[in-house]
Amino acid sequence: MNTVAESPTEFDELLQGLLGRCAAADSNALQRLYELVSPILFASVSRILRRRALAEEALQDVFISIWQQAGQFTAARGRPMAWMMSIARYRAIDLLRRERYAPTLVAELPERSSIDAESESQGQTAAWLPTSELMEPCLALLSDMQARCLELAFIDGSSHEDIARLMGSPLGTVKSWIRRALRSLRQCLER
Amino acid sequence: MKPDNHEIIDALSSEYVLGTLRGPARRRFERWRTSVALVDQRCRFWEERLMRLAIRLAPLQPPAHVWIAIQRRLNLTPSRRALHRTRSFALAASVLLVVGLTALLYWRGHQTIRATVVATISAKAGEHIWELEVFGNTQRLVVHAVHLPARPAGRDYELWALPKGGSPVSLGVLPATDASSRTLSAMQKQALANSSEVAVTVEPHGGSPTGQPTGDVLYVARLRAAS
Repeated sequence: MNTVAESPTEFDELLQGLLGRCAAADSNALQRLYELVSPILFASVSRILRRRALAEEALQDVFISIWQQAGQFTAARGRPMAWMMSIARYRAIDLLRRERYAPTLVAELPERSSIDAESESQGQTAAWLPTSELMEPCLALLSDMQARCLELAFIDGSSHEDIARLMGSPLGTVKSWIRRALRSLRQCLER
Repeated sequence: MKPDNHEIIDALSSEYVLGTLRGPARRRFERWRTSVALVDQRCRFWEERLMRLAIRLAPLQPPAHVWIAIQRRLNLTPSRRALHRTRSFALAASVLLVVGLTALLYWRGHQTIRATVVATISAKAGEHIWELEVFGNTQRLVVHAVHLPARPAGRDYELWALPKGGSPVSLGVLPATDASSRTLSAMQKQALANSSEVAVTVEPHGGSPTGQPTGDVLYVARLRAAS
């Protein structure tokens, strides 16, 4: 029986092709890329920055960077979505550092997807995500506290101090949870 | 910061990617990454792996003026078509990936290719589940999963053409991920040409073992000419 697609691979190829054309200064390719990935990148920066104007500024910066650095991306660097997501997250973290403000909730602040834990457990993922057979069992080894810390840091852009406050735990404990979680993941992934 | 210990490099890389390496240490690390290949390699390792944590991040459509601002900052001249696309795009977030895959066909063929037939598979409540596009001239079917319901464990959703006067013809297992495309066989293309509807059944993992529907028909959608 045919499967409709090997979606992640095809999606990767699509994004790689677009980046290659961006490197050749093809603005139509940038527009296509924007159409494809901006909702995910905007969700990510909005979640971290929690202020619409800043998130929009970050998204602009991200696509300027993608346009300017597209020539540096090669398939050997890994998945294009991971590369672009990293540009977005790092830009948002930089802006967080620059802006000392009291967080304000964005009206459409992306919350947990309606794809809940039940559907996740059945292996349904977004196309832009890697179907990581390696990562899932490793994440499952983490304690609830460790997993929550990683999620708060990665998705919400929370600092050690933010996480300690949010979880009501001592700063040293939070740092230890995160350090151990990352070490555990590394050991599991490199087994 | 010049530790040559692999473990320290990895620990710093993981905290950098996670975002918990902050302040001056983060800036020093960024400079370090650009000059030491191993550091860059470990960062990429973590960027790939930790991206999985973003699984629950729901896509959020940016306002149309962001793209216009990007074009302005890069001195890109927005064409009338581009402006039109931007507006349409803001109104139709759910078909983003289909548009992108359409673009892929455009690039591959170096010619404008438009869908000839489309269908929307919806739940009773009206929620769109899959969007289908058939590109007649390339024999390609593009499927976009808009709001996929939970899949029964160990089962797949399978798409069927329902040709008039004939048996259903499988168009393949539907994607559990957002967007995909496949080339139709001559038989599938012929079946689609003779169909006014498509159906979705739930089948054993990998699709019906018999080549004909074995599970319940969950959805039926009308095929319509693309506008």
